[in-house]
Amino acid sequence: MNDYRYDYQTVQGFILSAMFWGVVGILLGLLISVQLWAPAANFAPYLTYGRLRPVHTNGLIFGLGAGAIFGLFYYITMRLCKRPLLFPRLARVQLWLFNAGIVAAAVSLLLGQTQSLEYAELEWPLDLAIVVLWVMLAVNVFGTILKRREEQMYVSLWYIVATVITIAILYIVNNLAVPVSLGKSYPLFAGVNSANVQWWYGHNAVGFLLTTPILAMFYYFLPKSTGLPIYSHRLSIVAFWSLIFAYLWTGAHHLVYTPLPDWIQTLAIVFTMFLIAPSWGSVVNGYYTVGQDWTTMRSNYLTKFFILGITFYGLQTVQGPTQGLRVVSQLIHFTDWVPGHVHMGTMGWVTMIICASIYYVVPRINGTELYSEKLANVHFWLVLVGQLLFSITMWITGIRQGWMWKATDEAGKLKYTFMDGVIGNYPYWHTRTLAGIIFAAGMVVFVYNVLMTIRKGKAAQAAAGSAPTTVAA
Amino acid sequence: MSESSIYRKPVAFAVLATVVVLAGTIVTMAYPMLRPELHPKVEGLKPLSPLELAGRDVYQREGCVNCHTQTVRPLKSEVVRYKGNRAPEPSGQYSLAGEFAYDHPFLWGSKRTGPDLAFEGWIKPSKDWHYAHFEDPQKVVPRSNMPKYAFLRGNALEAAKVQASMRGLRTLGVPYGDADLAAVPAAVEGKTEMDALVAYTVSLGKAVNRAAAGGGDVDLEAPNPFATDVAAIAKGKTLFDANACSACHGDEAQGQEGVAPNLIDDQFLGASPDLPDAAYFAMIKGGSDAKKALGRPGVPDGGMAAFGGDLSDDDIWAIVAWLRNQKAHEAAEGHPGGH
Repeated sequence: MNDYRYDYQTVQGFILSAMFWGVVGILLGLLISVQLWAPAANFAPYLTYGRLRPVHTNGLIFGLGAGAIFGLFYYITMRLCKRPLLFPRLARVQLWLFNAGIVAAAVSLLLGQTQSLEYAELEWPLDLAIVVLWVMLAVNVFGTILKRREEQMYVSLWYIVATVITIAILYIVNNLAVPVSLGKSYPLFAGVNSANVQWWYGHNAVGFLLTTPILAMFYYFLPKSTGLPIYSHRLSIVAFWSLIFAYLWTGAHHLVYTPLPDWIQTLAIVFTMFLIAPSWGSVVNGYYTVGQDWTTMRSNYLTKFFILGITFYGLQTVQGPTQGLRVVSQLIHFTDWVPGHVHMGTMGWVTMIICASIYYVVPRINGTELYSEKLANVHFWLVLVGQLLFSITMWITGIRQGWMWKATDEAGKLKYTFMDGVIGNYPYWHTRTLAGIIFAAGMVVFVYNVLMTIRKGKAAQAAAGSAPTTVAA
Repeated sequence: MSESSIYRKPVAFAVLATVVVLAGTIVTMAYPMLRPELHPKVEGLKPLSPLELAGRDVYQREGCVNCHTQTVRPLKSEVVRYKGNRAPEPSGQYSLAGEFAYDHPFLWGSKRTGPDLAFEGWIKPSKDWHYAHFEDPQKVVPRSNMPKYAFLRGNALEAAKVQASMRGLRTLGVPYGDADLAAVPAAVEGKTEMDALVAYTVSLGKAVNRAAAGGGDVDLEAPNPFATDVAAIAKGKTLFDANACSACHGDEAQGQEGVAPNLIDDQFLGASPDLPDAAYFAMIKGGSDAKKALGRPGVPDGGMAAFGGDLSDDDIWAIVAWLRNQKAHEAAEGHPGGH
């Protein structure tokens, strides 16, 4: 039983699950984007914006994100360790538990069971389930690495190890709580301390669920797809250690001008500025890798996914630190600028790299070629246009809103009411929904393409009457 | 490439990576937790009442934090917008760390799709306004994008649930005593989640004094709770006399030329039209300083004293009730008070 074929089916199970939850999460994103400009689209009590927004964020971070992480981590680990998973059955159990967990999580959030901590909304029974899932991942990844058949650990494995360790620490600490019922608990920490712990978690959840795992994929699948070796191994080393060191200091940049002590804010801002360097270490490494042969941008449909993905990572990691500065934060914090920023990262970087990785993996698992490169190109342009329209729209209205909140006359009286600012958002919120539709259309094309590829592989196997061949690492 | 052998030793690598991520974790998260500055408490901070706590649970359940922040930043325009500038102490103008000591967890939020609510108890103390607003936000605030929460009216509170919440918070150090727990059934009897949410909303920001020195926190839509209460009207007359109001405004509040205005004609502060009861309330409570908030010129510099320090809100409303009754009485008699 313990062979690549069995494990690859598990990998593909995670990939398909991630795609399914990704589509659900994106459709919910569309619904809540409509609710912002059409309050009649709220259906109390279960389908209000307040309850649905966490389903959207958790569905995409834990459904799409963690699903893809589980599947692609296993794939990468097997390839880089030159052996199947150490515990193949455990991974299969994990796959089913994962899907059951996401269903339970969605239901609990719709019931209003929430800790009110961003990206840590899930109540304690689900927190326990997530810890179990993560331990399963850790056992399999570490076990497989320890029994590896390739002595040197490649960069992607460093990022995988760092991800597994750091998420465990973050998640457990931030979810410590006293339960009062099955669906309700009170977090251990209170007030300003609770804010500090939450954003230490919140920012590093972004760092270690939406950055380091994606870098693990990037460092593995970019060279694999293009046939070009990573430009600088030394740069990979420097970028890795400085990134995982600096990230953990920066959470309080989410709390600029709040009652959190100034020294914690300032320290966070300083480290946030520093974080540009390791982030751009990987950006530069990516560019110079493809720079060895730019013609692959034309000849290989996957190269542009990786290059645009790392470009948005680069923009994200300059925009983010800029937002951390007090002078910028005072204007854009709490406005729609912030969802614009977040969605550049999630739509432009995270999803772009995950999709490209899946495009690489699925044909190989199924012993076939991609169903349609043309559709992959359609997918690429749709998600690119959708994401840019989304982000740029939100940046514009965020700045507008921030200025309206601040505008005062000579006497120090406010020029605009809060509602003036809300009403000004409506045209931009309409545009954002349109952008979401374009993005969602792109993702539907992606899903279709992947499903047809699997079908093509099955048809080929049936015709040949044999097992799929495994492409060598 | 002559890299160190750590990339061949997964255990050593994992240990080193752990140490590296723990550095920032310890300095910015764990160590601050040991410092008193992360556990401040403003003087006189009280835990939420059972009804307010039940309201906070509803606030959490409905995900209000997704659209509303609860922290006013020390920025000039923000302090003005959320009326922190009324606070007598400069430090009360924005949110203070010590206000949130019993907030498990903090509910500062990260997005203002709707306005900040940190000072809501001062800005909009009118419960009636909040009931109407939760019921149908667009009726009160046209073009608002807030969902309707009318369904909360149909959900009765359960004392046992509120007690469980209080016990949970007590283990975390929130000072709820046995007597507080015992008082829960009476406090939530016949109350709905709507009552709870309104009570919580108007409790926000009240741990620090942000009252306008001049009663400028008037909500002109606030109705007089004793408008037609006969006992209150009688009490109002007594208070009117006891506080020497008649010395300036006349025995029957008909005013005295050049001293103080008539309070029972169709004018207020020297201009037409008359203003609602809440305006009279504000003037009595805050004195002449309240005039600016009411947008009336009145006599330059004014002469009305602030009685907010001497009279309870109920007493002031009683006086207003008497004034209004007096006015109706005069109108029925057909001889308006002299100018």
